Amino acid sequence: MNNKSYHWILLMFGVVMGLILAVQFRATSDMQSPPDLETPIALAQDLDEARKDRDQLQAKVDGLRNQLDSAVTGPELSRLKEELDEARQEAGMKDVQGAGVEVTLDDSNKVLQPGENPNFYVLHDGDVLRVLNELKAAGAKAISLNGQRIISTTEVRCIGPTILVNKNQRLSPPFIISAVGDPETLSSALKMKNGVIDYLKFWGIQVEVKKADKLTIPAYTGGLVFDYAKPKIS
Amino acid sequence: MPQKTSMYVSIMLVAAVLGLMLSVQFRAVNRASSGISIDRAQELTAELKQINHEEGELSKEINDLTFKLNQVKQGQAEAVTALQSELNKVRMSAGLITVSGPGIELVLDKPDNTEDSEIPPELMVIQDEYLLSALNELWGAGAEAISINGQRIIATTEIRQAGSFININLNRVVPPYQILAIGNPQELMNTLEMTGGLQEYWRDLGIKVSIEKHEDLTLPAYVKK
Repeated sequence: MNNKSYHWILLMFGVVMGLILAVQFRATSDMQSPPDLETPIALAQDLDEARKDRDQLQAKVDGLRNQLDSAVTGPELSRLKEELDEARQEAGMKDVQGAGVEVTLDDSNKVLQPGENPNFYVLHDGDVLRVLNELKAAGAKAISLNGQRIISTTEVRCIGPTILVNKNQRLSPPFIISAVGDPETLSSALKMKNGVIDYLKFWGIQVEVKKADKLTIPAYTGGLVFDYAKPKIS
Repeated sequence: MPQKTSMYVSIMLVAAVLGLMLSVQFRAVNRASSGISIDRAQELTAELKQINHEEGELSKEINDLTFKLNQVKQGQAEAVTALQSELNKVRMSAGLITVSGPGIELVLDKPDNTEDSEIPPELMVIQDEYLLSALNELWGAGAEAISINGQRIIATTEIRQAGSFININLNRVVPPYQILAIGNPQELMNTLEMTGGLQEYWRDLGIKVSIEKHEDLTLPAYVKK
């Protein structure tokens, strides 16, 4: 009897070990030759430097704009400066404070069944565009996406699991959209039946809407470059 | 008794080997997931390109602002010119003045109601999201100003389906949708025409699409309603 159970135990271990060996073998052969690590690492370093350079340039632009403002004296110029201030307000180049809503979007936490396309359940640029559009339609005065001011020329683009905003800042989920405007109107516009939140929830995207009494939407700090467009003054 | 000992020894041996294998397996799997993939390198390259582009724009802005600052210091008349030019630029960005320049004209129109009823009718309507994705694509390709059916697109512009109409800047617009975009005409065109791009997608849905380059487009200023 003793001898028999000894054999059984050995057999079981043998089977388990064989199984593990097979899995191990498959896992290692699945792994392609180790990817070239040096290029991405060098790239990442370049990227860090480029980011720093860009931030410096951005700070310089900010400084120059302030200098231009403070260099202005005299009655005729101060009238122009007022107009400039107003235009900057409209262009999103000034901070905006006020009540509003904060919308948090995150990828679906749905457990995928085999064969389901995971692409359906991650947040896409189109989803973010929908939410932004709905907020604009509900009268939002200023909007930011993870701290980046949304201006007219802002594009929202998916690159892998992250989204590119204002051509420079990369964001990764969760996405926080802040909008200044009437909190009641903004949140009910989003939560409308068959509205944008219902749509996102269908795909399991996690959405949370919070009303806030005081929000600060930062100014757009990038450059304004017009290589093709010229003002037409009548 | 000696048989029992040998049994324990062999089990111990087997267990030890098993543990070793498990740990090797575990490490191998860990390494696989943290490896930097080729995709990652592509993402990094794309981001680096964007940042370089942004740096270029910021440098131009610095030159421009420095020039204006020097002008302001020269005298009253020069200062007025400098400020006026900065004001125009900011207004252009805010969509508050009429602008002109080269670019493209994109027209989207409903398909003709022919006997071809393979496409369900709700897809025949040009949805607000088609316009949204068109704008997003054009801004991404460097468009400097855009209007749809005479409505200038500004930071707070909404494009929203309301029944069979679309509201833009609180104005009702109807098909055909004429989108004017100022920017590098070739680049704007390429972004729409690339394989797997929006033009292909729209045509598959049966929407009539036309894209034309223009030397000189004029886009109206935003009018508050």
